[in-house]
Amino acid sequence: MEKLSFYFALWSAKAAQLALRIIRKGGTTAPGKVALAICPDFLSRIGRPETLIGVTGTNGKTTVSNMLCDIFEAMGMDPVSNREGANIDAGAATSLIAAASLGGKCRKKLGVLEMDERSALKLFPVLKPDHLIVTNLFRDSMRRNAHPEYIADLMEKGIVPSTHLILNADDPISSSLAPLNSRTLFSVDKLSQDPPARENLVQDVQICPVCGERIVYDFRRYHHIGRAHCDSCGWHSPDPDYLLVSADPDAGKITIMESQIWQEYPLPSPEIYNLYNALAAITLLRHMGHSAEEIAAAMGQLKVVQSRLRSEEIGRWQLTASMAKGLNAVACSRNFDMVLNTPGKKAVVLLLDDVFDEKSSSENIAWLYDADFEFLCNDDIVQVLAVGKRCLDTRLRLLLAGADPQRVQAVRKAADAAAQVALEECEKVFVLFEVYRHGQATEVRDAIAERMRKA
Amino acid sequence: MKLEYLYPELGNLYGDSANMRYLRQCLPQAEYVETHIGEAPAFVSDPEVCFVYSGPMTERGQGIALEELRPYAGALSEKLTGGLHGLFTGNSMELLGKSITAGETTLDGLGVVELRSRRDIAHRYNGLFLGNTEGIEITAFNSRFSHSVPGAGLQGFAKVTRGIGLDQDCAYEGYRVGNFIGTYLLGPLLVLNPLLTQRLLISLGSEELPAFFTEALQAYEARLTEFRDPKTKLD
Repeated sequence: MEKLSFYFALWSAKAAQLALRIIRKGGTTAPGKVALAICPDFLSRIGRPETLIGVTGTNGKTTVSNMLCDIFEAMGMDPVSNREGANIDAGAATSLIAAASLGGKCRKKLGVLEMDERSALKLFPVLKPDHLIVTNLFRDSMRRNAHPEYIADLMEKGIVPSTHLILNADDPISSSLAPLNSRTLFSVDKLSQDPPARENLVQDVQICPVCGERIVYDFRRYHHIGRAHCDSCGWHSPDPDYLLVSADPDAGKITIMESQIWQEYPLPSPEIYNLYNALAAITLLRHMGHSAEEIAAAMGQLKVVQSRLRSEEIGRWQLTASMAKGLNAVACSRNFDMVLNTPGKKAVVLLLDDVFDEKSSSENIAWLYDADFEFLCNDDIVQVLAVGKRCLDTRLRLLLAGADPQRVQAVRKAADAAAQVALEECEKVFVLFEVYRHGQATEVRDAIAERMRKA
Repeated sequence: MKLEYLYPELGNLYGDSANMRYLRQCLPQAEYVETHIGEAPAFVSDPEVCFVYSGPMTERGQGIALEELRPYAGALSEKLTGGLHGLFTGNSMELLGKSITAGETTLDGLGVVELRSRRDIAHRYNGLFLGNTEGIEITAFNSRFSHSVPGAGLQGFAKVTRGIGLDQDCAYEGYRVGNFIGTYLLGPLLVLNPLLTQRLLISLGSEELPAFFTEALQAYEARLTEFRDPKTKLD
């Protein structure tokens, strides 16, 4: 009977998938939802690829998953992935349904699935990934994720003993996960281009994960990412197997040390968080047995995803649009840090309000006080536009951060933002936007670009 | 005048440190003390400490803070009776209660107030809060795994207008002991509620308005309008 419900679920979902393809509505999780509604344990019954890679963590999982898929494709492989779907159970189901035969067997040998860390209990025990990359664990949406220790506990419960972990040795939270599982660790050494570490409001690891005493950071890159130790019990950040020792944006290469041998790879993107993303992918690929030369050749064909960070010169200005992730103070702080580290006079447009809360509720704006708006209070930042329904809250946050009141403007409607950018006072404009405001941000960006072209 | 932040390394999960940062801007002439784990709280021995703050913690952090504070439970009780001002937000307010139960395990609280808390890690409540304390409307946020039941004689902090109180059925949110407020409401509560902050400053003996009072009031009033609107979903 249970088997029957599985086949009924699979065939119904496949029919839904076909129908959606005919009406050109791909990229939804509807087939997976259909399958899970009919057969709740569908994910444990559907065929999985011979080798399944999971990618999870707070920040970077989409980039790492996409990078891995691109690299595997450049190597001539054809992985099943959820790059066009969601990273929860319905998204994973949808991807596996597409790759499954009518008998439910997976027709592909390799799979790369981005897995929502909050869904660890639903995904890890049934999909049993052979390899699981955990990019990092940070404070994220309070409503969904509570706090990083809570997410780490969920993941700990979900990870199965057979999964080999690829972990960030610079993150004391995720590198402590599932201590009995086999693991390969990566780390980014202190780099010459590391900007001076700034104090972040969010610092989620201040006490020892073992004894609870206060820990000491030997090197802190940002937030809790760095190298730390505990004077009380001797705990320290784990030693990495793969250490990124240098990044040379001019030469377009990174150097990674493994087993005391230096290997060079192309530099996909110079931002520090993208160095971590590339390193995570390389660590997995090396662990799987791919040669450094093979990986480097495939990475040479990668293109940076334009929807997350798009920058171009227009007339005498540089216009940058960057995805900042609303409700996620760390992701916003990384963007604010990027703005601060960029030389020149700058104007910043903030489109950070949560789309869903705006429609039916009132956003919990506590996260604004975890984000380092202090980085936007600098002589070179000549204007900050707080745009959207929460503009008064964001303006207040900026003022309390120390922004000059003359430089902060609250703009209720996004359509009015572009006209208010003080182009005459700046050389660079940044549009920082919440993930689901991509379309709106594009409109604002295009309107600013139009003004720049006409000037 | 000294204001003390107890265990900032533990009690700051949701922008809560902004409460102390805001007070620094409101009362720049005051002294500010941060007490870390392993250190004796300043309020115990320093009579100039007039305000103590702590914020929401992880479940592990809550256990550590409880053991850190336990030797000073008697002193804390005396100080609160003597008029010490304070604000414990999120689950840090549970520390002062009789007990915190999670599944089969019960932790003894500090026993300063008649409050028993129960944590259910499988169910998190998230929601908006609108309430009223002594004529001041409070707008705030809840995000918690636990609920509490007040004992006889405990005074509530804010009457619930919309949202939930100490538990789903309680008409009051939080508790008050003299000038001390314990509340599940979290985040930058003082920034979000400039009228409450104004009253606190007066009670501390300051005649100054809260920092950026005009802008804070504008944001507060906009939020009030949203929170009062029955179409605004609470959770």
